[in-house]
Amino acid sequence: MALVGLVVTFAGFVLAAASVGITSSNTGRLGMVLVGIVVSLIGIMGVINPAYQKNAVWKK
Amino acid sequence: MKKVLLAFSITWSLALTGVAFAQAPAAAPAAAAATIDAGTVVTGVSTPKPEEKAAGDPAGTLTGTAADIPLGDAKKGLTVGDLASMLGQNLIATNFVWTLVTGFLVMFMQAGFAIVETGLARAKNANHTMMMNFMVYGAGMLAYWLIGFAIQEGGVGAVANLGGTAPLSSEYAITLFGKSWGLFGQKGVMLGGATYDVGVLVMFLFQMVFMDTALTIVTGTAAERWKYSTFLVSSILMGAFTYPLFANWAWGGGWLQNLGGNYGLGNGYVDFAGSGVVHSVGGVTALALGIMMGPRIGKYTRNGKPNAIPGHDITMVLLGCFILAFGWFGFNPGSTLGAAANGNLRISSVAVNTMLAGMAASFSGMLYMWMRYGKPDASMTGNAFLAGLVAITAPSGFVSPMASVVIGLIAGVLVCLSCEFVERVLKVDDVVGAVSVHGTNGIWGVISVGLFADGKSNYGGAWNGVAHSVTGLFYGGGAGQLIAQLIGVATLIGFVFTMSFVINMILEAVMGQRVSAKAELEGLDIPEMGALGYPEFVLKPEAAIET
Repeated sequence: MALVGLVVTFAGFVLAAASVGITSSNTGRLGMVLVGIVVSLIGIMGVINPAYQKNAVWKK
Repeated sequence: MKKVLLAFSITWSLALTGVAFAQAPAAAPAAAAATIDAGTVVTGVSTPKPEEKAAGDPAGTLTGTAADIPLGDAKKGLTVGDLASMLGQNLIATNFVWTLVTGFLVMFMQAGFAIVETGLARAKNANHTMMMNFMVYGAGMLAYWLIGFAIQEGGVGAVANLGGTAPLSSEYAITLFGKSWGLFGQKGVMLGGATYDVGVLVMFLFQMVFMDTALTIVTGTAAERWKYSTFLVSSILMGAFTYPLFANWAWGGGWLQNLGGNYGLGNGYVDFAGSGVVHSVGGVTALALGIMMGPRIGKYTRNGKPNAIPGHDITMVLLGCFILAFGWFGFNPGSTLGAAANGNLRISSVAVNTMLAGMAASFSGMLYMWMRYGKPDASMTGNAFLAGLVAITAPSGFVSPMASVVIGLIAGVLVCLSCEFVERVLKVDDVVGAVSVHGTNGIWGVISVGLFADGKSNYGGAWNGVAHSVTGLFYGGGAGQLIAQLIGVATLIGFVFTMSFVINMILEAVMGQRVSAKAELEGLDIPEMGALGYPEFVLKPEAAIET
């Protein structure tokens, strides 16, 4: 699951970086960048961190 | 005869008329630009006589005169060319001294980080924590000298303030969406070849101490459980690859800084002194390690409720914060890379912005904690102070004193909220709060450039190759600058975090990140370092921790 989370996190960056080439409208770029940031945060906080929390030392 | 005389007269008349026309004053030509030949000898300049200097110069009026100017031709004497050369040398020398001395201040921040982190750790880990901060300096410098500097600055091109840095002239780039995207530099490995250059060496020293700040941030989150051997390897890899890559994109001629020139997004990603490049890179890497390593034993109950694990010396923590603040006077103002020409007199503005933001954040953080928990918590006040300094780092060259106070006030509260979120919601054990101080507030600093840059700065007429001052949303700059900053944020969160996580996952598989539970409970000083940090103190047993 951590690897899936890393892919999701990286995908958010790709979306944000690609915004400059996909559209020339600043509104469109802003939207894509914000979505990209959210996607990356979901990858980190919603996928990677929970995957590691499953085996947290305080649960043992 | 009369005909001859008539012809002669007519001829002469015509000739004289032509002469008259020729002699009539022509329209005044355009005045030629005044020029002075460089070989013109300068005369009449008085210099002290040898017998006057031999008598001593207590007033300082005989020292430092035209006689001290090196002559191109001693036989010819002082020329205009000699004067021009001296002016050029003085300009570059001023900038060299400024950049080097501010770099020395940043180096001293390592001491500040060391005692902040050691103070926030328990006494049984003092040796280990201090040694991580001590050797991160050497580990980072080694990696950076070997390859990191080349990746970051190998293609930065001419840095006018330092006399050109011409050897740093090779950037590897790809073409994407019709534009060139610089990815990494290719000159300067081990400072060999043409990069053995006085200007390049100034750049190396200054950039190296910034890189080391990013590396040392990570040790704060991972303290009290990080294997010392893995820490060394992880730091070397971060100094060699992770940090230099993002720094190239932001500062070294890479694609992030060229978002303005290539796609019309303001001046491209702007980060004056490194809220993103240094602090956020350190902060997201710290988050990666915090998630991977897991919390310290006893940090959370079985219900996931956090236990406070206080540090052993709050006086070290607050003293360390002051040392860091002192070093920040090198971190931010030094990022002009000069004190003469090209708008560099703004060093006063940068320095004042820095101190105001730190002050404002210390107040807002202290008051927030006081209202929330009933006491002005010392460690969080120190962290708030640092958060303000982190947040102002990116915008310090472009904003007003008033904006600096606002940025700091927000940073002071933001760090408290972020610490609570990281500890209670993410359940990531961040021993010193590095993720919140440097990661969260580094990102806030990056964003604040896109909001508060006021368009008043002018560093040589352009920034990142775009010929207008950096201007944010609140000052009529439109959304372009803000979008460029957010792309930088997305890169930090999406790319830098991923790269750091992958590198450390590999290290986890190969050598393990975390010490054994036995070593952790005993304290890392003996198992990892072979000696206690405080051998003459009897450490009291830890109070029973609620599980």
